[in-house]
Amino acid sequence: MIRHFQYKKICLGRDYLQEHFSDSFSLAEVAKYSCMSQYHFCRVFTNVFGESPNTFVTRLRIKKAKEMLITEKFSIGKICESVGYSSIGSFSSLFRKKVGMSPTQYRRELWGLSSEPLSFPMQSIPLCYAQNLFDLKDHGMKKRR
Amino acid sequence: MIQAIVHVTVHVLDQDEALKFYTEKLGFEVGMDMTMDGGFRWLTVFAKAQPKLELVLAEPKEGPMFDKDSAEQIRRLVSNGAFGVGVFETDNCQKTYDELLEKGVEFTQPPTEQFYGIEALGKDNSGNWFSLTQQTT
Repeated sequence: MIRHFQYKKICLGRDYLQEHFSDSFSLAEVAKYSCMSQYHFCRVFTNVFGESPNTFVTRLRIKKAKEMLITEKFSIGKICESVGYSSIGSFSSLFRKKVGMSPTQYRRELWGLSSEPLSFPMQSIPLCYAQNLFDLKDHGMKKRR
Repeated sequence: MIQAIVHVTVHVLDQDEALKFYTEKLGFEVGMDMTMDGGFRWLTVFAKAQPKLELVLAEPKEGPMFDKDSAEQIRRLVSNGAFGVGVFETDNCQKTYDELLEKGVEFTQPPTEQFYGIEALGKDNSGNWFSLTQQTT
């Protein structure tokens, strides 16, 4: 297990990434927040948090994009830019890889399930938490093999 | 084959207050905070080093999930300390205990040597207890 002071140091870099995930950044600069070299920062970060700094940032960006696709009416281009990508093509293919569908399709499906505009449908949380809130037949469950 | 636990429910008395406690005092991060259609708030937090295990901070209140009596019973049990969140691991129990104490976290037992490690017992601001443990094995 990582030592207390080292954990605190690596958290400084992580906190920076968390706050600035939609900006452009260099890992060498971020590593300075943890008082480490870029190589050491990446190694310790991955060891402690179970994902590399780049994977962490991608996860935050996709998460934010998913949220914006539901709760905002912005264009895909605007959302792509807001979460830190400059190319819609790269953003869309990354989104598709992580989420399993394109941003447009994701928005269409989730908006279609929601009974109120720009809000998350109950179908987006685990069924065990939502089962008493509405009829199961409305949950849109698909049988998987 | 079940491979991991990803969501665990913690009943809290007030989601806003619980969110402050878990993020500002314990240093957890917000996983999801979204209000669903119908007003249900899906609020999860997680420890930085374990993003895949989220605590669902759920407020028992009268509604489709609980009738009035059940909600009140759960709330009473929570505030009486009947439930535990679980064990939070640290590499230095005394140090983390001191830091949390300074932030105003309530403890019912200071770091104490146990067979399995050094353990302190604390409470969240709803009344749920948690163990802060530095494992020795």
